[in-house]
Amino acid sequence: MKKGIVSKLYVFLIMLYLYVPIIVLMLMGFNKSRYNSMPFEFSLEWYKELIGDTVLQKAALNSVLLALVTGIICVMLATLFILGERYLSNRAKSLFNSISMMPMSIPWLIMGLSLLLLIRFFNFDKSMFFVSAGHVVISLPYSLLVLKARVQSMDKSLEEMSASLGASQLTTFRRITLPAIAPAMVAGGFLSFMISFDNFAISYFLMPAGVSTLPIEIQSSIKFGFTPEINAVSTVIIGVSLLCLAVVGLIMGSSLKTMVGRSENK
Amino acid sequence: MKGDRRQIMTWPAMAALFIFAVFPLLIMLFNSFQSDDGTGSFVLSNYIRFFSKSTYLKLTGRTIFNSVMVTVISLIISYPLSYIMAKKLKGLKNIVMVLIIIPFFTNQLVRVYSWLIFLQDGGLLESLLNSIGIIDGSLGIMYTKAAVIIGLVHAFFPYMVITIYMALERMDNSILEASSSLGASAFTTFRKVIFPMSMPGVVSGIMIVFVPCLGTFVEPRILGGVNGTVIGTVIEDQFFEIYGWNFGAAIAFILLAMVLISMAAISKWGKRYDI
Repeated sequence: MKKGIVSKLYVFLIMLYLYVPIIVLMLMGFNKSRYNSMPFEFSLEWYKELIGDTVLQKAALNSVLLALVTGIICVMLATLFILGERYLSNRAKSLFNSISMMPMSIPWLIMGLSLLLLIRFFNFDKSMFFVSAGHVVISLPYSLLVLKARVQSMDKSLEEMSASLGASQLTTFRRITLPAIAPAMVAGGFLSFMISFDNFAISYFLMPAGVSTLPIEIQSSIKFGFTPEINAVSTVIIGVSLLCLAVVGLIMGSSLKTMVGRSENK
Repeated sequence: MKGDRRQIMTWPAMAALFIFAVFPLLIMLFNSFQSDDGTGSFVLSNYIRFFSKSTYLKLTGRTIFNSVMVTVISLIISYPLSYIMAKKLKGLKNIVMVLIIIPFFTNQLVRVYSWLIFLQDGGLLESLLNSIGIIDGSLGIMYTKAAVIIGLVHAFFPYMVITIYMALERMDNSILEASSSLGASAFTTFRKVIFPMSMPGVVSGIMIVFVPCLGTFVEPRILGGVNGTVIGTVIEDQFFEIYGWNFGAAIAFILLAMVLISMAAISKWGKRYDI
Protein backbone atom coordinates (compact mmCIF):
# COMPACT_ATOMS: atom_id res chain seq x y z
CA MET A 1 0.00 0.00 0.00
CA LYS A 2 2.89 2.29 0.86
CA LYS A 3 4.31 1.73 -2.62
CA GLY A 4 1.09 2.93 -4.23
CA ILE A 5 1.30 6.18 -2.33
CA VAL A 6 4.86 6.81 -3.48
CA SER A 7 3.83 6.33 -7.12
CA LYS A 8 0.85 8.61 -6.75
CA LEU A 9 2.97 11.25 -5.06
CA TYR A 10 5.44 11.06 -7.94
CA VAL A 11 2.69 11.51 -10.50
CA PHE A 12 1.33 14.41 -8.48
CA LEU A 13 4.71 16.17 -8.36
CA ILE A 14 5.22 15.84 -12.11
CA MET A 15 1.72 17.15 -12.74
CA LEU A 16 2.54 20.07 -10.47
CA TYR A 17 5.61 20.86 -12.57
CA LEU A 18 3.51 20.56 -15.73
CA TYR A 19 0.73 22.81 -14.47
CA VAL A 20 2.58 25.36 -12.33
CA PRO A 21 3.10 27.84 -15.16
CA ILE A 22 -0.48 27.57 -16.35
CA ILE A 23 -1.91 27.99 -12.86
CA VAL A 24 0.42 30.87 -12.05
CA LEU A 25 -0.56 32.58 -15.26
CA MET A 26 -4.27 32.25 -14.58
CA LEU A 27 -3.81 33.48 -11.01
CA MET A 28 -1.76 36.48 -12.05
CA GLY A 29 -4.48 37.53 -14.46
CA PHE A 30 -6.55 38.20 -11.35
CA ASN A 31 -3.73 39.84 -9.40
CA LYS A 32 -3.75 43.57 -8.98
CA SER A 33 0.01 44.07 -9.28
CA ARG A 34 1.21 45.29 -12.65
CA TYR A 35 4.51 43.42 -12.22
CA ASN A 36 3.02 40.03 -11.33
CA SER A 37 4.48 40.43 -7.88
CA MET A 38 3.27 39.33 -4.49
CA PRO A 39 1.24 39.73 -2.28
CA PHE A 40 -1.80 38.60 -4.20
CA GLU A 41 -4.71 41.01 -4.41
CA PHE A 42 -7.79 39.98 -6.35
CA SER A 43 -8.81 42.27 -9.20
CA LEU A 44 -10.66 42.05 -12.51
CA GLU A 45 -8.84 45.07 -13.83
CA TRP A 46 -6.86 43.22 -16.52
CA TYR A 47 -9.95 41.57 -17.93
CA LYS A 48 -11.63 44.95 -18.05
CA GLU A 49 -8.67 46.37 -19.90
CA LEU A 50 -8.73 43.43 -22.30
CA ILE A 51 -12.28 44.31 -23.33
CA GLY A 52 -11.16 47.79 -24.35
CA ASP A 53 -7.89 46.73 -26.00
CA THR A 54 -8.47 46.80 -29.76
CA VAL A 55 -4.85 45.93 -30.58
CA LEU A 56 -5.02 42.61 -28.76
CA GLN A 57 -8.49 41.90 -30.11
CA LYS A 58 -7.32 42.51 -33.65
CA ALA A 59 -4.31 40.27 -33.09
CA ALA A 60 -6.60 37.55 -31.74
CA LEU A 61 -8.87 37.87 -34.77
CA ASN A 62 -5.85 37.64 -37.08
CA SER A 63 -4.65 34.51 -35.29
CA VAL A 64 -8.03 32.82 -35.62
CA LEU A 65 -8.46 33.78 -39.30
CA LEU A 66 -4.95 32.67 -40.19
CA ALA A 67 -5.40 29.36 -38.36
CA LEU A 68 -8.78 28.84 -40.02
CA VAL A 69 -7.37 29.43 -43.51
CA THR A 70 -4.41 27.17 -42.71
CA GLY A 71 -6.63 24.42 -41.34
CA ILE A 72 -8.99 24.45 -44.33
CA ILE A 73 -6.22 24.52 -46.93
CA CYS A 74 -4.31 21.76 -45.14
CA VAL A 75 -7.36 19.49 -45.02
CA MET A 76 -8.08 20.04 -48.72
CA LEU A 77 -4.47 19.40 -49.77
CA ALA A 78 -4.08 16.43 -47.45
CA THR A 79 -7.38 14.80 -48.48
CA LEU A 80 -6.60 15.15 -52.18
CA PHE A 81 -3.11 13.79 -51.52
CA ILE A 82 -4.20 10.64 -49.73
CA LEU A 83 -6.92 9.98 -52.32
CA GLY A 84 -4.46 10.27 -55.19
CA GLU A 85 -1.55 8.62 -53.44
CA ARG A 86 -2.55 5.06 -54.27
CA TYR A 87 -2.33 5.76 -57.99
CA LEU A 88 1.30 6.85 -57.80
CA SER A 89 4.16 4.61 -58.82
CA ASN A 90 6.09 3.22 -55.86
CA ARG A 91 9.06 5.43 -56.50
CA ALA A 92 7.00 8.60 -56.70
CA LYS A 93 5.11 7.51 -53.60
CA SER A 94 8.20 7.17 -51.44
CA LEU A 95 9.66 10.43 -52.78
CA PHE A 96 6.42 12.33 -52.15
CA ASN A 97 6.06 10.83 -48.70
CA SER A 98 9.50 11.85 -47.58
CA ILE A 99 9.00 15.37 -48.93
CA SER A 100 5.65 15.65 -47.20
CA MET A 101 7.19 14.76 -43.82
CA MET A 102 10.22 17.01 -44.29
CA PRO A 103 8.79 20.18 -42.64
CA MET A 104 8.26 18.16 -39.45
CA SER A 105 11.96 17.58 -38.89
CA ILE A 106 13.31 20.95 -39.99
CA PRO A 107 13.30 23.62 -37.25
CA TRP A 108 10.60 26.22 -37.90
CA LEU A 109 13.25 28.88 -37.43
CA ILE A 110 14.92 27.62 -40.61
CA MET A 111 11.63 27.19 -42.49
CA GLY A 112 10.61 30.75 -41.65
CA LEU A 113 13.94 32.33 -42.52
CA SER A 114 14.22 30.43 -45.81
CA LEU A 115 10.81 31.81 -46.80
CA LEU A 116 12.05 35.26 -45.84
CA LEU A 117 15.04 34.75 -48.14
CA LEU A 118 12.68 33.62 -50.92
CA ILE A 119 10.69 36.82 -50.55
CA ARG A 120 13.87 38.88 -50.67
CA PHE A 121 15.34 36.91 -53.57
CA PHE A 122 12.42 37.83 -55.84
CA ASN A 123 11.93 41.28 -54.31
CA PHE A 124 8.37 40.43 -53.28
CA ASP A 125 6.67 42.39 -50.52
CA LYS A 126 5.94 40.65 -47.25
CA SER A 127 2.28 39.71 -47.29
CA MET A 128 -0.33 37.53 -45.61
CA PHE A 129 -0.06 35.24 -48.62
CA PHE A 130 3.45 34.14 -47.63
CA VAL A 131 2.54 33.91 -43.95
CA SER A 132 -0.34 31.58 -44.82
CA ALA A 133 1.86 29.58 -47.20
CA GLY A 134 4.42 29.11 -44.43
CA HIS A 135 1.76 28.04 -41.97
CA VAL A 136 0.28 25.59 -44.48
CA VAL A 137 3.65 24.00 -45.20
CA ILE A 138 4.52 23.41 -41.54
CA SER A 139 1.01 22.18 -40.60
CA LEU A 140 0.36 19.98 -43.62
CA PRO A 141 2.39 16.97 -42.37
CA TYR A 142 0.17 16.73 -39.28
CA SER A 143 -3.06 16.68 -41.31
CA LEU A 144 -1.49 14.13 -43.63
CA LEU A 145 -0.46 11.86 -40.77
CA VAL A 146 -3.96 11.81 -39.29
CA LEU A 147 -5.64 11.19 -42.65
CA LYS A 148 -3.11 8.53 -43.65
CA ALA A 149 -3.68 6.59 -40.46
CA ARG A 150 -7.43 6.64 -41.18
CA VAL A 151 -7.10 5.57 -44.82
CA GLN A 152 -4.74 2.76 -43.93
CA SER A 153 -7.22 1.29 -41.48
CA MET A 154 -10.12 1.78 -43.89
CA ASP A 155 -11.78 -1.25 -45.42
CA LYS A 156 -10.89 -0.93 -49.13
CA SER A 157 -13.33 -3.65 -50.15
CA LEU A 158 -16.26 -1.30 -49.45
CA GLU A 159 -15.09 1.01 -52.25
CA GLU A 160 -14.55 -1.91 -54.60
CA MET A 161 -17.96 -3.30 -53.78
CA SER A 162 -19.58 0.05 -54.42
CA ALA A 163 -17.85 0.31 -57.79
CA SER A 164 -18.76 -3.23 -58.80
CA LEU A 165 -22.38 -2.56 -57.88
CA GLY A 166 -22.37 0.17 -60.51
CA ALA A 167 -21.86 3.33 -58.44
CA SER A 168 -20.00 6.09 -60.23
CA GLN A 169 -16.66 7.24 -58.88
CA LEU A 170 -18.29 10.37 -57.52
CA THR A 171 -21.05 8.42 -55.78
CA THR A 172 -18.55 6.02 -54.26
CA PHE A 173 -16.54 8.95 -52.99
CA ARG A 174 -19.58 10.73 -51.61
CA ARG A 175 -21.28 7.73 -50.05
CA ILE A 176 -18.37 5.50 -48.97
CA THR A 177 -15.00 7.25 -48.85
CA LEU A 178 -16.04 10.65 -47.55
CA PRO A 179 -18.05 9.41 -44.55
CA ALA A 180 -15.19 7.07 -43.67
CA ILE A 181 -12.53 9.77 -43.67
CA ALA A 182 -14.65 12.68 -42.41
CA PRO A 183 -13.67 12.30 -38.72
CA ALA A 184 -10.01 12.24 -39.72
CA MET A 185 -10.55 15.35 -41.84
CA VAL A 186 -11.98 17.17 -38.82
CA ALA A 187 -9.18 15.94 -36.56
CA GLY A 188 -6.48 16.72 -39.11
CA GLY A 189 -7.89 20.16 -39.73
CA PHE A 190 -8.08 20.85 -36.02
CA LEU A 191 -4.48 19.78 -35.54
CA SER A 192 -3.34 22.10 -38.32
CA PHE A 193 -5.48 24.88 -36.88
CA MET A 194 -3.79 24.47 -33.50
CA ILE A 195 -0.28 24.39 -34.97
CA SER A 196 -0.96 27.56 -36.93
CA PHE A 197 -2.65 29.25 -33.99
CA ASP A 198 0.31 28.43 -31.77
CA ASN A 199 2.97 29.37 -34.30
CA PHE A 200 5.27 32.22 -33.50
CA ALA A 201 8.40 31.77 -35.63
CA ILE A 202 6.86 31.80 -39.10
CA SER A 203 4.45 34.66 -38.34
CA TYR A 204 7.17 36.70 -36.64
CA PHE A 205 9.58 36.46 -39.57
CA LEU A 206 7.12 36.92 -42.41
CA MET A 207 4.37 39.17 -41.09
CA PRO A 208 4.01 42.45 -42.99
CA ALA A 209 4.55 45.57 -40.88
CA GLY A 210 1.58 46.62 -38.77
CA VAL A 211 -0.10 43.19 -38.73
CA SER A 212 0.26 40.94 -35.71
CA THR A 213 -1.03 37.74 -34.17
CA LEU A 214 -1.45 36.82 -30.52
CA PRO A 215 1.93 35.08 -30.17
CA ILE A 216 3.61 38.14 -31.69
CA GLU A 217 1.78 40.44 -29.27
CA ILE A 218 2.79 38.25 -26.33
CA GLN A 219 6.42 38.27 -27.47
CA SER A 220 6.52 42.03 -27.87
CA SER A 221 4.95 42.56 -24.48
CA ILE A 222 7.62 40.30 -22.96
CA LYS A 223 10.26 42.31 -24.77
CA PHE A 224 8.93 45.78 -24.03
CA GLY A 225 7.55 45.37 -20.53
CA PHE A 226 4.57 43.15 -19.98
CA THR A 227 1.21 43.81 -18.43
CA PRO A 228 -1.03 41.23 -16.75
CA GLU A 229 -3.42 41.79 -19.63
CA ILE A 230 -1.35 39.11 -21.36
CA ASN A 231 -2.22 36.76 -18.49
CA ALA A 232 -5.87 37.49 -19.01
CA VAL A 233 -5.72 36.93 -22.75
CA SER A 234 -3.68 33.74 -22.25
CA THR A 235 -6.29 32.41 -19.86
CA VAL A 236 -8.92 33.11 -22.49
CA ILE A 237 -6.82 31.32 -25.13
CA ILE A 238 -6.41 28.24 -22.92
CA GLY A 239 -10.15 28.21 -22.22
CA VAL A 240 -11.06 28.50 -25.89
CA SER A 241 -8.53 25.81 -26.90
CA LEU A 242 -9.94 23.38 -24.36
CA LEU A 243 -13.45 24.14 -25.54
CA CYS A 244 -12.42 23.43 -29.16
CA LEU A 245 -10.76 20.22 -28.01
CA ALA A 246 -13.93 19.12 -26.25
CA VAL A 247 -16.09 19.98 -29.27
CA VAL A 248 -13.82 18.08 -31.65
CA GLY A 249 -13.82 15.17 -29.22
CA LEU A 250 -17.61 15.15 -29.29
CA ILE A 251 -17.79 15.39 -33.10
CA MET A 252 -15.21 12.66 -33.52
CA GLY A 253 -16.92 10.51 -30.94
CA SER A 254 -20.40 10.85 -32.39
CA SER A 255 -19.29 10.43 -36.00
CA LEU A 256 -17.40 7.30 -35.02
CA LYS A 257 -20.54 6.06 -33.29
CA THR A 258 -22.64 6.82 -36.38
CA MET A 259 -20.22 4.85 -38.50
CA VAL A 260 -20.25 1.91 -36.15
CA GLY A 261 -24.04 2.13 -35.99
CA ARG A 262 -24.27 2.15 -39.76
CA SER A 263 -22.12 -0.89 -40.23
CA GLU A 264 -24.11 -2.73 -37.57
CA ASN A 265 -27.37 -1.89 -39.30
CA LYS A 266 -26.46 -3.36 -42.65
CA MET B 1 -1.73 1.70 -63.03
CA LYS B 2 1.38 3.83 -63.42
CA GLY B 3 -0.12 6.46 -65.67
CA ASP B 4 -3.41 6.75 -63.81
CA ARG B 5 -4.75 10.25 -64.22
CA ARG B 6 -6.07 10.30 -60.67
CA GLN B 7 -2.56 10.78 -59.31
CA ILE B 8 -3.04 14.45 -60.25
CA MET B 9 -4.77 14.75 -56.88
CA THR B 10 -1.40 14.52 -55.15
CA TRP B 11 -0.02 17.47 -57.09
CA PRO B 12 -1.45 20.44 -55.17
CA ALA B 13 0.08 19.29 -51.89
CA MET B 14 3.37 18.49 -53.59
CA ALA B 15 3.40 21.83 -55.41
CA ALA B 16 2.85 23.67 -52.12
CA LEU B 17 5.68 21.76 -50.46
CA PHE B 18 8.06 22.25 -53.39
CA ILE B 19 7.39 25.96 -53.79
CA PHE B 20 7.21 26.93 -50.11
CA ALA B 21 9.53 24.41 -48.42
CA VAL B 22 12.04 22.79 -50.78
CA PHE B 23 12.66 25.78 -53.04
CA PRO B 24 13.21 28.32 -50.19
CA LEU B 25 15.76 25.94 -48.66
CA LEU B 26 17.62 25.85 -51.97
CA ILE B 27 17.65 29.65 -52.01
CA MET B 28 18.95 29.60 -48.45
CA LEU B 29 21.70 27.20 -49.53
CA PHE B 30 22.60 29.55 -52.38
CA ASN B 31 22.68 32.50 -49.97
CA SER B 32 24.95 30.66 -47.58
CA PHE B 33 27.63 30.66 -50.29
CA GLN B 34 27.35 34.41 -50.90
CA SER B 35 29.46 36.90 -49.03
CA ASP B 36 27.73 39.59 -47.00
CA ASP B 37 29.75 42.43 -48.53
CA GLY B 38 27.45 42.63 -51.51
CA THR B 39 29.88 41.55 -54.25
CA GLY B 40 27.70 38.56 -55.07
CA SER B 41 30.61 36.21 -55.59
CA PHE B 42 30.45 32.52 -54.75
CA VAL B 43 32.47 31.98 -51.59
CA LEU B 44 33.01 29.49 -48.78
CA SER B 45 33.92 32.27 -46.37
CA ASN B 46 30.73 32.01 -44.28
CA TYR B 47 31.38 28.39 -43.44
CA ILE B 48 35.10 29.01 -42.90
CA ARG B 49 34.24 31.89 -40.56
CA PHE B 50 31.97 29.67 -38.49
CA PHE B 51 34.42 26.82 -38.10
CA SER B 52 37.49 28.98 -37.50
CA LYS B 53 36.10 31.05 -34.62
CA SER B 54 36.09 29.47 -31.22
CA THR B 55 33.00 31.50 -30.21
CA TYR B 56 30.85 29.68 -32.73
CA LEU B 57 32.30 26.29 -31.90
CA LYS B 58 31.64 26.91 -28.21
CA LEU B 59 28.13 27.92 -29.14
CA THR B 60 27.63 24.68 -31.06
CA GLY B 61 28.89 22.80 -28.02
CA ARG B 62 26.51 24.66 -25.75
CA THR B 63 23.55 24.01 -28.03
CA ILE B 64 24.29 20.28 -28.08
CA PHE B 65 24.88 20.29 -24.31
CA ASN B 66 21.49 21.97 -23.76
CA SER B 67 19.74 19.36 -25.87
CA VAL B 68 21.53 16.52 -24.08
CA MET B 69 20.60 17.94 -20.67
CA VAL B 70 16.97 18.43 -21.66
CA THR B 71 16.82 14.91 -23.09
CA VAL B 72 18.40 13.27 -20.04
CA ILE B 73 16.21 15.15 -17.55
CA SER B 74 13.11 14.42 -19.65
CA LEU B 75 14.03 10.74 -19.64
CA ILE B 76 14.53 10.73 -15.86
CA ILE B 77 11.12 12.36 -15.40
CA SER B 78 9.26 10.45 -18.09
CA TYR B 79 10.32 6.85 -17.62
CA PRO B 80 9.06 6.42 -14.04
CA LEU B 81 5.92 8.38 -14.87
CA SER B 82 5.15 6.24 -17.93
CA TYR B 83 5.92 3.10 -15.95
CA ILE B 84 3.59 4.11 -13.13
CA MET B 85 0.89 5.02 -15.63
CA ALA B 86 1.16 1.77 -17.55
CA LYS B 87 1.58 -0.67 -14.67
CA LYS B 88 0.36 0.90 -11.44
CA LEU B 89 -2.49 3.30 -12.08
CA LYS B 90 -5.64 1.54 -13.13
CA GLY B 91 -8.58 3.85 -13.74
CA LEU B 92 -6.53 6.98 -13.12
CA LYS B 93 -4.21 6.51 -16.07
CA ASN B 94 -6.63 7.91 -18.64
CA ILE B 95 -7.07 11.03 -16.55
CA VAL B 96 -3.30 11.44 -16.21
CA MET B 97 -2.96 10.95 -19.98
CA VAL B 98 -5.48 13.73 -20.64
CA LEU B 99 -3.65 15.95 -18.15
CA ILE B 100 -0.41 15.35 -20.04
CA ILE B 101 -2.00 16.17 -23.40
CA ILE B 102 -3.83 19.36 -22.33
CA PRO B 103 -0.69 21.58 -22.15
CA PHE B 104 -0.03 20.79 -25.83
CA PHE B 105 -3.00 23.01 -26.50
CA THR B 106 -1.57 25.97 -24.69
CA ASN B 107 0.50 28.43 -26.63
CA GLN B 108 4.28 27.99 -26.57
CA LEU B 109 4.87 31.67 -25.83
CA VAL B 110 2.23 31.67 -23.12
CA ARG B 111 4.06 28.83 -21.38
CA VAL B 112 7.44 30.54 -21.64
CA TYR B 113 5.92 33.75 -20.40
CA SER B 114 4.36 32.04 -17.41
CA TRP B 115 7.72 30.53 -16.45
CA LEU B 116 9.09 34.04 -16.65
CA ILE B 117 6.59 35.42 -14.17
CA PHE B 118 6.96 32.37 -11.91
CA LEU B 119 10.76 32.40 -11.76
CA GLN B 120 11.51 36.11 -11.90
CA ASP B 121 12.92 37.99 -8.92
CA GLY B 122 9.98 39.17 -6.85
CA GLY B 123 7.82 36.48 -8.44
CA LEU B 124 5.74 33.71 -6.94
CA LEU B 125 8.47 31.10 -6.45
CA GLU B 126 10.71 33.59 -4.69
CA SER B 127 8.07 34.71 -2.23
CA LEU B 128 7.05 31.08 -1.70
CA LEU B 129 10.59 29.95 -0.89
CA ASN B 130 11.16 33.01 1.26
CA SER B 131 8.08 32.33 3.34
CA ILE B 132 9.09 28.71 3.99
CA GLY B 133 12.57 29.94 4.80
CA ILE B 134 14.47 27.93 2.18
CA ILE B 135 16.03 31.05 0.77
CA ASP B 136 16.48 34.52 2.11
CA GLY B 137 16.32 37.36 -0.38
CA SER B 138 16.27 37.09 -4.13
CA LEU B 139 16.12 33.86 -6.09
CA GLY B 140 18.26 34.84 -9.06
CA ILE B 141 17.33 31.86 -11.24
CA MET B 142 15.84 33.88 -14.08
CA TYR B 143 18.19 34.57 -17.01
CA THR B 144 20.40 31.60 -16.24
CA LYS B 145 21.00 28.35 -18.12
CA ALA B 146 18.97 26.57 -15.45
CA ALA B 147 15.90 28.63 -16.34
CA VAL B 148 16.32 27.68 -20.01
CA ILE B 149 16.56 23.98 -19.13
CA ILE B 150 13.50 24.19 -16.84
CA GLY B 151 11.46 25.78 -19.62
CA LEU B 152 12.65 23.42 -22.36
CA VAL B 153 12.11 20.26 -20.30
CA HIS B 154 8.64 21.51 -19.50
CA ALA B 155 7.91 22.00 -23.20
CA PHE B 156 9.29 18.66 -24.38
CA PHE B 157 9.00 15.92 -21.76
CA PRO B 158 5.27 15.21 -22.34
CA TYR B 159 6.15 13.90 -25.83
CA MET B 160 8.54 11.44 -24.26
CA VAL B 161 5.95 10.29 -21.71
CA ILE B 162 3.63 9.44 -24.59
CA THR B 163 6.16 7.40 -26.59
CA ILE B 164 7.46 5.45 -23.57
CA TYR B 165 3.95 4.88 -22.22
CA MET B 166 2.85 3.45 -25.56
CA ALA B 167 5.79 1.03 -25.59
CA LEU B 168 5.11 -0.10 -22.01
CA GLU B 169 1.37 -0.38 -22.57
CA ARG B 170 1.86 -2.62 -25.62
CA MET B 171 3.89 -5.06 -23.57
CA ASP B 172 2.27 -8.41 -22.97
CA ASN B 173 1.82 -8.89 -19.21
CA SER B 174 2.11 -12.67 -19.52
CA ILE B 175 5.80 -12.23 -20.38
CA LEU B 176 6.31 -10.44 -17.07
CA GLU B 177 4.44 -13.15 -15.23
CA ALA B 178 6.56 -15.77 -16.96
CA SER B 179 9.70 -13.96 -15.86
CA SER B 180 8.67 -13.78 -12.21
CA SER B 181 7.33 -17.33 -12.12
CA LEU B 182 10.70 -18.49 -13.44
CA GLY B 183 12.22 -16.99 -10.30
CA ALA B 184 13.44 -13.58 -11.48
CA SER B 185 13.24 -10.82 -8.91
CA ALA B 186 11.22 -7.71 -9.68
CA PHE B 187 14.43 -5.83 -10.40
CA THR B 188 15.79 -8.53 -12.70
CA THR B 189 12.47 -8.65 -14.55
CA PHE B 190 12.70 -4.93 -15.04
CA ARG B 191 16.33 -4.96 -16.14
CA LYS B 192 16.15 -8.00 -18.41
CA VAL B 193 12.61 -7.87 -19.74
CA ILE B 194 10.72 -4.61 -19.27
CA PHE B 195 13.48 -2.12 -19.98
CA PRO B 196 14.82 -3.77 -23.17
CA MET B 197 11.28 -4.17 -24.48
CA SER B 198 10.51 -0.50 -23.86
CA MET B 199 13.59 0.65 -25.76
CA PRO B 200 11.74 1.49 -29.02
CA GLY B 201 9.65 3.95 -27.00
CA VAL B 202 12.73 5.36 -25.29
CA VAL B 203 14.52 5.82 -28.61
CA SER B 204 11.61 7.60 -30.27
CA GLY B 205 11.22 9.69 -27.14
CA ILE B 206 14.86 10.74 -27.36
CA MET B 207 14.38 11.56 -31.04
CA ILE B 208 11.28 13.64 -30.41
CA VAL B 209 12.99 15.66 -27.64
CA PHE B 210 16.63 15.96 -28.68
CA VAL B 211 16.15 16.94 -32.32
CA PRO B 212 13.64 19.83 -31.99
CA CYS B 213 15.56 21.08 -28.96
CA LEU B 214 18.55 21.85 -31.20
CA GLY B 215 16.55 24.41 -33.15
CA THR B 216 14.85 26.27 -30.29
CA PHE B 217 15.38 29.99 -29.95
CA VAL B 218 12.34 31.38 -28.13
CA GLU B 219 12.89 29.71 -24.74
CA PRO B 220 16.66 30.36 -24.64
CA ARG B 221 16.16 34.01 -25.53
CA ILE B 222 13.34 34.81 -23.10
CA LEU B 223 14.36 32.64 -20.14
CA GLY B 224 18.13 32.77 -20.58
CA GLY B 225 18.75 36.35 -21.64
CA VAL B 226 22.44 36.80 -22.42
CA ASN B 227 23.18 33.44 -20.80
CA GLY B 228 20.80 31.68 -23.15
CA THR B 229 22.67 32.24 -26.40
CA VAL B 230 22.44 29.16 -28.62
CA ILE B 231 22.70 28.59 -32.37
CA GLY B 232 19.03 29.44 -32.84
CA THR B 233 19.33 32.86 -31.21
CA VAL B 234 22.54 33.63 -33.13
CA ILE B 235 20.80 32.87 -36.43
CA GLU B 236 17.93 35.15 -35.43
CA ASP B 237 20.38 37.92 -34.51
CA GLN B 238 22.20 37.57 -37.81
CA PHE B 239 18.94 38.13 -39.65
CA PHE B 240 17.34 40.83 -37.53
CA GLU B 241 20.08 42.65 -35.62
CA ILE B 242 23.30 42.38 -37.60
CA TYR B 243 21.85 41.94 -41.09
CA GLY B 244 24.43 39.34 -42.00
CA TRP B 245 21.82 37.36 -43.88
CA ASN B 246 24.21 35.20 -45.84
CA PHE B 247 26.26 34.29 -42.78
CA GLY B 248 22.96 33.61 -40.99
CA ALA B 249 21.93 31.32 -43.85
CA ALA B 250 25.21 29.41 -43.49
CA ILE B 251 24.68 28.94 -39.73
CA ALA B 252 21.11 27.81 -40.45
CA PHE B 253 22.49 25.13 -42.74
CA ILE B 254 25.00 24.03 -40.14
CA LEU B 255 22.09 23.72 -37.67
CA LEU B 256 20.12 21.78 -40.29
CA ALA B 257 23.08 19.44 -40.75
CA MET B 258 23.21 18.88 -36.98
CA VAL B 259 19.50 18.09 -36.98
CA LEU B 260 19.74 15.63 -39.86
CA ILE B 261 22.88 13.91 -38.54
CA SER B 262 21.39 13.43 -35.08
CA MET B 263 18.13 12.14 -36.58
CA ALA B 264 20.02 9.63 -38.70
CA ALA B 265 22.21 8.57 -35.76
CA ILE B 266 19.27 8.11 -33.39
CA SER B 267 17.21 6.17 -35.91
CA LYS B 268 20.18 3.95 -36.74
CA TRP B 269 20.62 3.28 -33.04
CA GLY B 270 16.89 2.59 -32.75
CA LYS B 271 16.96 -0.07 -35.50
CA ARG B 272 18.69 -2.41 -33.05
CA TYR B 273 15.63 -2.42 -30.82
CA ASP B 274 12.91 -2.75 -33.39
CA ILE B 275 11.57 -6.22 -32.91
